[in-house]
This record gives sequence, C-alpha cells and structure tokens, in this order.
Amino acid sequence: MPGAMLLILLPIVATLLLRWFRSEKMQYILLATTVVLLSATALKLYFGSAVLTFHFPHWLELFIVIADLLLLLYFLWQGRRFDRRIITLLAVIQLLLYGWAESVLPEEGGAEVVVDALSTFMFLIINIVGGIIVVYAVRYMSYEEISEEKKRLFIAYLLLFLSVMNAVVVSNSLLLFFFLFEMTTLASYLLIGFRGDETAQKNALKALWMNQIGGVVILLGTLCAIYGYDTTRFDALTGSVGGTLLLCVSLVSMAALVKGASIPFDGWLLGAMVAPTPVSAILHSATMVKIAPWLILKLSPALGGTGVGLLLSTFGGFVFVAASYLALSRTVFKEILGYSTIALLGLMMALAAIGTPETSILTMVLIFFHALSKAMLFMTAGVVEKLHHLKDIEDMKGLIETAPKSARFILFGFVSLTLPPFGLFIVKLFAIEEVSHMLPDHPGLFLLLLSILIGSTLLVLLYFKVTAAILSRPSDIVGLGHEAMPSGFLLPLAILAVLVVFTTIRLAAVQQVADLTLFFVPIAMLVLAPLAYRWMDRFDRVKCYHCGEKESFDAALYYYEPTPKIRVAIYTFFTLLFVSVALTGALS
Amino acid sequence: MTTWFWIVMAPVLGGLVYGGERVLRARMQRRQGPPLLQPFYDMFKLMDKRTLVIHSAHALLGVVHFLVLWITVGAIFFGWNLLYIVFLHLFALIVLVIAGYSVRSVFSQIGANRELLALVAYEPVLLLVTVGFYLYAGSFYIGDILHHSGYLSQMPLLFLALLVILPIKVKKSPFDVVEGHQEIVGGVEVEYSGFFFEFLYMARFLEYIFIYSFVFLFGGADYWLGALLVIGTFILVNLVDNATARVRAADMVKISYLLALLLAGINIVWMLT
Amino acid sequence: MKWLAQFRKKSPWILHYNAGSCNGCDIEILAALSPRFDLERFGIVNTGNPKQTDIFLVTGPVTFHSRERLVELYSQIPEPKVVVAVGACTSTGGVFRGMYNVEDGIDRYIPVDVYVPGCAASPQLIIDGIVQALSILEKKNKAIEKPFRLFGGIKRIGKKISRLTMAKRIGEEK
Repeated sequence: MPGAMLLILLPIVATLLLRWFRSEKMQYILLATTVVLLSATALKLYFGSAVLTFHFPHWLELFIVIADLLLLLYFLWQGRRFDRRIITLLAVIQLLLYGWAESVLPEEGGAEVVVDALSTFMFLIINIVGGIIVVYAVRYMSYEEISEEKKRLFIAYLLLFLSVMNAVVVSNSLLLFFFLFEMTTLASYLLIGFRGDETAQKNALKALWMNQIGGVVILLGTLCAIYGYDTTRFDALTGSVGGTLLLCVSLVSMAALVKGASIPFDGWLLGAMVAPTPVSAILHSATMVKIAPWLILKLSPALGGTGVGLLLSTFGGFVFVAASYLALSRTVFKEILGYSTIALLGLMMALAAIGTPETSILTMVLIFFHALSKAMLFMTAGVVEKLHHLKDIEDMKGLIETAPKSARFILFGFVSLTLPPFGLFIVKLFAIEEVSHMLPDHPGLFLLLLSILIGSTLLVLLYFKVTAAILSRPSDIVGLGHEAMPSGFLLPLAILAVLVVFTTIRLAAVQQVADLTLFFVPIAMLVLAPLAYRWMDRFDRVKCYHCGEKESFDAALYYYEPTPKIRVAIYTFFTLLFVSVALTGALS
Repeated sequence: MTTWFWIVMAPVLGGLVYGGERVLRARMQRRQGPPLLQPFYDMFKLMDKRTLVIHSAHALLGVVHFLVLWITVGAIFFGWNLLYIVFLHLFALIVLVIAGYSVRSVFSQIGANRELLALVAYEPVLLLVTVGFYLYAGSFYIGDILHHSGYLSQMPLLFLALLVILPIKVKKSPFDVVEGHQEIVGGVEVEYSGFFFEFLYMARFLEYIFIYSFVFLFGGADYWLGALLVIGTFILVNLVDNATARVRAADMVKISYLLALLLAGINIVWMLT
Repeated sequence: MKWLAQFRKKSPWILHYNAGSCNGCDIEILAALSPRFDLERFGIVNTGNPKQTDIFLVTGPVTFHSRERLVELYSQIPEPKVVVAVGACTSTGGVFRGMYNVEDGIDRYIPVDVYVPGCAASPQLIIDGIVQALSILEKKNKAIEKPFRLFGGIKRIGKKISRLTMAKRIGEEK
C-alpha cells in the first residue's frame, strides 16, 4: 500500500513545496525529483504485481463526503455565478442523488481501494507520461505573459491532477469513484478556464456541464447497484449475475463515454484547446480521457458477450469513424490531434467492451502507445506555437526547412501512430485479426470490424495530409535551417521518443511473432535512406514542373467539410445511440 | 529456390504483363501497338538519361516505395499472412504519398492526395476480401488459403467487389483519376526522371502482380481456375478501360463505398449466417 | 554505355508545346498519335511532362508570353534530348515573320535539331521528322544543352549542380 499512497501524496507534497521554489532552476530540481520518484514507484508497483487492498477508516469516509458536498456546492455556485441553468440543474440533481445514495448506503466489508494489475499499468502512464508533461510545462509557461505566481499555480494544478488520477485508477467504490470523477471535472474546469478570457470561460463551462452528465449517470448506476445488489464496490458488482446488473453497468459505462469525449460530447475536449498546451497534452495522453477505457476495462467482466457490451463496441467503432471524418475538415493542428484522440478513444472503448482477455490486453497496449505518441505530438504543437507562432497547418507548410527538429518530432509522432512496426499499428492489426477470429461466433461484431477498417484508413488520410504540409520543400540546393530548441523542450520530447522506440522493440520481442520482423525492414530503409544523400549530389537539381511557368505555385491542402445536414445527422445519431445504451441495459 | 527465383523475376514478370496489356489495348482499338518488350526498352532508355531531382529525400522515397512493394510481392510468393501483406502494401503506398507531398509541385501534391483518396476507397474492400478468405479457409496464410477451393461459390459478391476496386489499383479508367496523365501529368510520378523514374515504373509492374494475385486466390487449390480468372479479369479490365471515361475523385470513393463495400459486406454477413 | 544508346530510338517519349501556334499543327500532331497513324507502335508516348521527355515537339512562332515558358520547359528536359520544330511558323516565323509580337521561329531561343515544314505539317511529315530526330538522338551525349537566350547559367552550389536558374525571366535578361 505505501507505494500507491506515495503516488497520491507525493504530487500534493510537491505542490505545497512549490511555494518556496521560486527560481526556474529550483523548480526543475523539485519537479525532476518528484517525477523520477513517481516513475520509479510506478515501475516498482508494475513489476511487483501483487494485488493490494485498503479499507478506509471512518474519518476518511466522512472527509470524502464533506469534500464531495463542497465540490457539488461549488459547481452550483459556478452555475449561479455565470447564470448557466444547465449547470445549476445538474448540480442540484447530483446533490439530491448523492444524498439519496448516502442515506441508503449499505454496510459492507469490501475494500474501497484495490491496486491490481490494471491500476499499476495506469500508474505507469499517469506518472511517467504525465510527469514528463509537467516538467515540460515549466519551460512552456516561461513564454506566457502572466505573473510568476500564476505560473506556479498552473504547475500546481497539473501536479494535483496527477494525484487525483492516481487515486481514480485504484478506486473500487462507486461513490469514491464519483468523488474523484468530479475532482477531475473540477481540475479540467480550472485548467481550461486558466487564461480567464471569454472563450476560455465559455469552454470551461461547457466542459463542466458535459462532465456533470457523467456524474449523474454514475450516481444513477450507484443507486441501481445499491438497490439491486446491496453494494457499491466495483468487484462485487461485476462479479454478480442476473437482475438489473446490465442496467447498473450500462449507466456507469455511459460516464466513460462522456469522459472519453465520444461524439456527441466531443465539444468539451475540443474546447480544451484554448488552455495552455500542456493542459491538452495531459488531458489527451496521460490523464482524464484515459478514465474512459479504464472504466470500461474495469467493467468488462460484466460487459463481455452481452448486448450492452456489443452496443458499446459498436458505439466505439462508429466514434472511431465519425471522429476521423470530422477531423478532415479541421485546419488547426491541435484540433486535428484532438479529433484523432477522440477517434482512438472510441477504438479503445470498443475493444475494451468486447471483454475477452486478448482484447483487454490490446486495449492496454493501445492506451500506452497512444499516451506516448499523443503527448509527444501535443508537446511539439506547443513548441511550434511558442517558438514559431504557428497554429494552423496551412501555415506549417515547409516546417521541415524552418524548424527541422519540431518537424521531425511531429513526423515521428504520426509515423508511430500509423506505420508498422509501432505499437498502434500492431494493435490495429491484431484487433482485425482478433475480431475476424471471433466473427463466426459473434456476428454482431461485423459492424465493429467494418468501422476499424474504414476508420484506420481515414486516420491515415488525416495524418498524412498534415505530414504533407510539413514536409514540402521546393529544393534541397541549400540545406535545412537550424532550429534552436531549448533543452526544456528538447529533453522531454527526446525521452518520449526513446520510450516509444524502446517499448516498440520490447512489444515485438514479447509478441514473438516472427512474421512481424518483416515490418522492421521498411522502417529501417526509411531510417537508412539519408545515408545515401551524399551519393545523391551527382544528380542535377531542378525546379518543380509548373507547366513552364516561372511563378511559384502552392497547392492548398484538401479538406472534407460535412454539410450542416450531415453534421446534424451525425450528432443526432450519436445522441440516440448514447441514450440507447441505457435502454439496452434496462431491457436486457 | 524456385520461390526466390520468382521473387527476383517479379518485376520482369510484371513488365511482361504491362507490355502485354499495352498490346492488348492497342488491338482492341484496331491498331498495331508497341512491341511486347516495350516496357523494358523504356527501362533501358531511362537508365541512359541524365537524372534531374528536386531533392534527395523525394528521389529516395521513390526507391523505398519500390523496394517495399517488392518485399510485399515476395511475401505473397512465400505464402505469408494475407492481412500482413495488405498492410505492408499500405506502408509502401504511404511512402509514395509522403514522396508526392514532399515537393512543392502542385501536380505531385494533388496526385498524392488522390492517392490517399484511392487508398480510402479500396483499402476497406481489400481488407474485407481478406477477412472473407479467413472466414472460409480459417487462416490468413496464403499457403493455407490455396489448400481450399470453392471460393467463387461462397464469395461471389466479394469477387465482384474486388473487380470494382481493381481498376483503382491498376490505375485504369474509370478510376484512373489518381494518375490522370492529361490532367495532372501522372500525379505523384511527375517530378521523377531518369534513374529514379525507373523505380516508379517498375513499382507499377509490381502493383499488377499484387492485385492480380488476389484474383488468383479465388481459384484456391484449383490453379487452372485461378489462372483463368486472372486472364478473364485482365481482359475485362482493359475492355472497361477502353470503353469508359474518367470519374471524379470524390465519385470514385462514393462508388467504391456504395457498391464495392456494400457487396463485400453483404457477402461477409451471408457467410456468417 | 554505348549498348544502352540503341534503346533511345525504341522508346522516344515526346512533349508537345504550343508556342503561339494557330492550332493547325497541334491537331496534326494529335492526329499522328491517334489510332489511324498509331505512333505508339514505335514506343512513342505523349508524356506531357518535360522531366520524362526525349523529344520536344514545338509548334508556333514564339509569341511574347511563350518565350519564358519555352526556355523553361526546354531546360527542364533531361539530356540527351532533341527539339523538333513542327510547321513553317516554328521553323522560320511563317506568315507571321517580321511581325512585332512574334520571334520568327524557335531557333532564336533553343537549338533545333529537325525542322518540319508545312502549314500545317501533315502527320506523315511529322512522323518522318520524329524518325529523323531519333537518329540524331542516338548520336547525342549527356552533356547539358543550353538555350541561346534567356539563359541564366548553370550554378554549382557545393557539390550539387543547380539547374534552377537555367531559364530567366524576360525582364532579367539584360
């Protein structure tokens, strides 16, 4: 238990210490120590692989109840303050439901906190990837024009977020999970609204009410579990059979769809782009949205093979396709990354909801590699924004010449998200294999299979459209420019890149599929191709062909904008699908 | 040993197919047409030209594209996992797309974009065909797939779907929008010349072998049936090429999804029930 | 590479450029490529791309606006290459000779290997011209050929040869 305790408490301690660490150097020392300690603990727990349980003492339970009430009242106040009726309404509903749940709470023995293999795996991502992002944020914030006090506050928020996330993934009680879920909602509300301007405020409030829907369905699920099975424990609930089990599980898993920003709730995650980039990085890669696949994985013993599980799988598959499609109309780099996160989260939830051991492992591998690659991409987006003042992919044309280092990190990020032999590719490959394998017994999975096939090609189209903008060069008669990247940016990015390569090799070694080695050959060719550059000097350099014109031409990128009608149809369809999850749960 | 021989000879074999196709098309238009070995004459000539490049990365990516395609075709001859082969082929195409995008040439960029659109159009169908083979034969390995027979009776709609997307892959009318010789000057290949254009030229030969080997698989254990299917498809594709006009890129995706994907989907669902 | 040179005439690819022609010769060139005359039986392909071209077919007397493009296209064709001037205007200026707005033939700008007479040149003559050009093509070497005017020079930057500035803009000439 001390390990998990350390993970939760250490970020809080570091937050408190941050007051006295005023210079940048001191902050780096403090944060680096914290992150190294966190990562080491996470690694130790991961390889320790013992299941630990912990039962809360009475005072701690009381503390959580009070904190929960305060939190909901804070939301209520925010709703009143900004005159948003929906936030007020949802806060009142949650207060009522929470009071009801607390009043009928059964006496039970099971542990509130369980550290199992899934939790230790999530620790790895949260602490290593999240930690790297926190360290990166120091340099990023030094470019912001705000007071030193506020910069430290920002770092403190990020650290607290890590602490809350570490607590989320070990919670085994539905009510404790509800509290922590609301805490992450609070964290995202504060971080998105950090800049304090009008759009930031608007998007923060949007994130707030959307996430509150998640809180409501968790409470409904909790009540269902209390009345049906006399329990609020995850393991007791997923271990039960018959009755209204599917209704309870489907209600709780709807919270995952909200947190995972599945369409129709994609608005809040896209709105998070107004915050400083480390927020996007940490929301998209290590924390927050990863609650969604984690929750489905946690519930997967009860979901596997049921109608609700199938519906969730199909839902995830559809989100994978629709989000990839919607991304094709975007021009802002971070929004494109955001939609691809939503798409891949859909795939994660789809695989998790199938509920076999194989698909669970695939989901975990997907979560891991997605966290690494997305963190790298978002951090690079931040670097490009701060050093070169570019946000739009149309402006990023020829980035390889002006900013070769950033461009290479972006390219590596995209390659690791799509091409063999990297993790995400392997997962998609095995997912297709696995689903085709299950198809004769579960014909319902056909729609998921189709979604994976179409969605992954759409994502290829998306990523390489952006690559296009970055790579294009008129000639190489003069070499690439030099980009001075501060080590506060370069080091975290380099560490992530090394991690991607290292874990990919490890994954391939673990898989022990000899066939996969053939996938290393093409990537080796691409890596070795620059060796031939010197030999290429013998060939004449010439201009691009533009029908003999002397003017320089440039092709714009392609965008595929859905018509308003199609957009409305997509959102209506997904809203109906979202509601039907609960209906399916109630009917089966 | 013979497998290795065929792998080495694959570009030559593809070149003969391509040469034969040019003759066939000429005869369909009642003209004499070039000699059968014309592709090889072109190759030798290109070897003797001064080579112009835009930049090194662009030229070398063309070579990598060819090499990866060659590996893909080699994997087919070795009876490898069909699913992996499709993805390896995808890799090869992405290399080409990156190459097309890496220059500031309008034609090359439009070509690369259309290449991606074509990918979106045919890739799901190709993968569904692969899944169809798996459902019938119980294995993704080509070696195992070739042990069974009777694919045509079980997967007739999948075969039709493959026929619909085949012109996209071999860049024939009505789906030659990717290349569009009079319109976008060959698309991705526009900035290649001499020595490096040769690799793109040979890559085209390998594409023929890649896609026609899917047709061949429908024959299963009956190799003669497979050969007959390949020849029949070959003639049909060229007939359609001579008789149709080019459709627009967006329509290509629509036709592929509304027709080919639907046919393939119906067939898979039918196989499952 | 003597042995490879024999394949030049087995696979000549052509680029057709209209330097202000009345379209008469252009239509005849297309007629020569059509199934009736079937130029493809000699392995000829109309590429439309200078970078993969061996034979440069030019029509028209070179109008003001086409000068830059003529030289630019010419300098983008990799050697060995031959230029065929198709029609009277292209060879000498034809009926436009001496007018203020045309240049009296392309040989003021780029070296021409074969002149095909006729207004318009018939497909048979064009085919004959191309065949003549092929025997010249076979004897050429790979040295860089330069345009006569609007030539900006070949630069050597580092170890690379740059042909980026081989063709100039009209205003830059003096």
